[in-house]
Amino acid sequence: MDKIDISLNINDKPFEVRVAPNDTLLEVLRDQLDLTGSKESCGEGVCGSCTVHMDDKPVRSCLTLALEAQGCNIKTVEGLANGDDLSDLQQSFIDHGAVQCGFCTPGMLMSADALLKSNPSPNEETTRKALSGNICRCTGYAKIVEAVCHAANPHDRCPDCKTDNNSGE
Amino acid sequence: MSDYTIIGKRMPRVDSRAKVMGKAKFTADLKLPGMLVGKIKRSPYAHARILNIDTSKALALPGVKAIVTGKDTEGVKWGVFAYTRDQQFIQTEKARYIGDEVAGVAAVDEETALKALDLINVTYEELPAVFDPMAAMASQTELIHEEFPNNINIHVNIDTGHVDENFEKSYYIREDTFVAPEESYFQAEPYAVLARFDHDDCLEVWCPNGGPHMKSKPLSNSFKIPLHKVKIRKIAIGGAFGGRSEICPADYICALLAKKTNCPVKIVFTREENTIATRQGHAMITTHKTGVDKEGRVLARETTCYMDGGAYSSTGPIATSVPFLSMEQAYRMGSVRYNGYRVYTNKPIRGMIRVHGRGFACGLDTQLDMIAEHLGIDPVEMRLRNSRQPGEYTSTKSYVDSCAMDETIHKAVEASGWKEKWGKLPPFHGIGIGTNSVQTGFPMGIRGGSQSFIKFNEDGEATVMSGVVDNGQGNDNMLVQIAAEELGLLPEDIHLVSADTETTSSDPGSYSQVSTFVGGHAVKIAAANCREKLFEVASKILKVDPGNLAAKNRMIFVKDNPEKCVPIKKVVRVSLLNFNSVNAEGGYWPKVDMKREWVSNPYGQMCEAFSFGTTIVEVKVDPDTGQVEVLQATAAQDVGYALNPLVLEGQFEGSVAMGGQGGMLTEYHEWKDGRCLNPTMLDYKLPLACDMPKIKNIIVESLDPKGPYGAKEAGMSIAMSAAQGYSAAVSNAIGVHMDSFPLTPDKILAAIKKKKSKAD
Ligand code: FES
Ligand code: FES
Repeated sequence: MDKIDISLNINDKPFEVRVAPNDTLLEVLRDQLDLTGSKESCGEGVCGSCTVHMDDKPVRSCLTLALEAQGCNIKTVEGLANGDDLSDLQQSFIDHGAVQCGFCTPGMLMSADALLKSNPSPNEETTRKALSGNICRCTGYAKIVEAVCHAANPHDRCPDCKTDNNSGE
Repeated sequence: MSDYTIIGKRMPRVDSRAKVMGKAKFTADLKLPGMLVGKIKRSPYAHARILNIDTSKALALPGVKAIVTGKDTEGVKWGVFAYTRDQQFIQTEKARYIGDEVAGVAAVDEETALKALDLINVTYEELPAVFDPMAAMASQTELIHEEFPNNINIHVNIDTGHVDENFEKSYYIREDTFVAPEESYFQAEPYAVLARFDHDDCLEVWCPNGGPHMKSKPLSNSFKIPLHKVKIRKIAIGGAFGGRSEICPADYICALLAKKTNCPVKIVFTREENTIATRQGHAMITTHKTGVDKEGRVLARETTCYMDGGAYSSTGPIATSVPFLSMEQAYRMGSVRYNGYRVYTNKPIRGMIRVHGRGFACGLDTQLDMIAEHLGIDPVEMRLRNSRQPGEYTSTKSYVDSCAMDETIHKAVEASGWKEKWGKLPPFHGIGIGTNSVQTGFPMGIRGGSQSFIKFNEDGEATVMSGVVDNGQGNDNMLVQIAAEELGLLPEDIHLVSADTETTSSDPGSYSQVSTFVGGHAVKIAAANCREKLFEVASKILKVDPGNLAAKNRMIFVKDNPEKCVPIKKVVRVSLLNFNSVNAEGGYWPKVDMKREWVSNPYGQMCEAFSFGTTIVEVKVDPDTGQVEVLQATAAQDVGYALNPLVLEGQFEGSVAMGGQGGMLTEYHEWKDGRCLNPTMLDYKLPLACDMPKIKNIIVESLDPKGPYGAKEAGMSIAMSAAQGYSAAVSNAIGVHMDSFPLTPDKILAAIKKKKSKAD
């Protein structure tokens, strides 16, 4: 198949890439741009480990063609932190012990980040639902759900919440 | 115990920052200059003789750099034990399961490599195949391995004597059979391996592993190069759960392709390959016959188990033993006879898995509940009457030192509200209890110990070297916590070099629950030795006896006069000025019975410590759909000592998910003629966030006299007991003791229907 030159906007930076029409966004991110934070676990849209944002919406980059991503603002896990400053959500994952092997973590963070954008203080049930497209084999989800619920919600604190973190914007 | 500075604290893990930033590198993320893509050609037949392999067309394809087949090997068979050497890394004579390795390709890209696989022409002669252990033992057709009559791979026989006479004395005897099919690990990270030979002809390998030193030895044997020339590198690992402990044929094929092409080669498994061509959990058919006295105390037990081992031995002798050992540790038995048979079939290879023997353990506990019901005893009381006590010997003569089994039962009963619920819940609402025990370590001969090295840098920070690997459970953090505590530093002052065979000494690996007990212990001893050297120097600076010194927060100070102190950094520099570098080593070798052997002599001290766990589960069953809603799981484990409660809780919760929620409700494989019908995440149902119940974690500490700070292992007893708790709760809810696991809606509905038709 003939390759095509396209430009992608990823983490607020423009990239010129040459892709085959059947190249997925995940392949382009990982193989061409060395953005290996997004992971492939199932390759068929089930596990959510490849989740990235396209215009603030979570999508599965293993099912998204690179061609479809043209003209969108793409955000990957590498774009969550501001330089060395972690986002509240990332810090909350660390503080609550939500990361074990870490393979699901990037996708989990991207789904959770999208949730928090639409609902800054989700309750447990909403969070569990929102994360149900992301499979984690290690944690049993309890600490992930806690980390998400407590990331931006100052009313719902636990001893693992770092006090100096997210003073509520 | 509470005056530790870093140990025992809810410390966030040192590896999580890189992981939340997407910076942690897993094997598939790696790229080396000139790297080729490797792929493996697998047998489409369950049992077939390989007559010919024609690679000419594939080799002619532009972009193909090398092809390897059995001809490139010396046909050597590998096995974990001398008596289980039955597996070639590339088959030369025949394929024994759908997925068996027959060739490997290295090409410039994935597309070319896949095309080349199609162009390799293998001529097979199909042979009759067997797919279940009972049929395999009775089979009159060609054996799967010629040297193993009746396709029996391993037979473990344990007999304490007096079994028959104790059955005679028993007040009540039951015999029941329980079955469970295969399950899979579904580690989040699909298996991957990257290999290259460097300028010194050293083999360098990156791959997920349960112990790098367990990978280097077979590679050194296969390539006939010394061990120091095999460098298994540290890499982030996306889960193991017991399934990544041994060498994988892909490791060898990848290295062979790298050798032939003189380029780095990377093989990344598809999800399907990860399911089919790594390991799976054994399917088991277990019959327990148990005789008790009037009070429900077990006087005699006879257990026979047939395990579907698949095509090769893997860790067969261990796998055949561990389900029994866990139960003999958990429960006292007056006498016992065990016959475990691991049988070859033409199915994928089975290994150790987190909940190893779910049908075995759930069966034993279900039967205890049946006996309790007959005798009119509460299931909790039934367990307390048979539970392991400290200071006893197991049936196979392991001394059990620390043991807080009863405390885990009492605390779980209390926290779950058992007393208010048992026998009082509405219809189709149930509660159940499971108890189990896991060994902290297997007898591993010369590989049973771990050694650590520590060196101080002139800035007062330390480098710690250890062979311990982190599969995701938090071992790196555990080592850093221990080193920081002992050296009086902060965790960020410790640089950890681990799981690399070039720089670290041999270590037993992480799959026998021994990383803390042995590997962590070695770091503790090395750090204490290093601290002593610091104290020697500091005692001269502070002019006090070294025995009066302590270290904390980067300072060495006089115990009863903490104002009198000196920074560790200064102590290191003074030492260097006196021509002495500050470094130390330390090792730990568990005192196990070196004569104990899985098959030939299964008696003697197995390991130095055992963990004990209880899980109580409450469920609601929908009688119309058979769906189970889990309301609450209460998990209590005797961990010895909690080095980091935050990490421990994560292990408990993950254990409930894998052992209980997945293992007892949804996870199993389906087959057609040896072909796995559900190898992907779409078809195999893993627990999701919305499925999980509230989990109450209870950490029980028995302070093991031998464990570092008293610690044993974290979470495995929960994984096992969660399976038992789930099954007991469902049985209680529907009023039928289930004997076929996992408890899927179809089985639950059938049981409800059968019960109803009996009642009518
Ligand atoms: S890899 Fe994309 S959903 Fe699993
Ligand atoms: S942390 Fe391992 S899969 Fe989620």
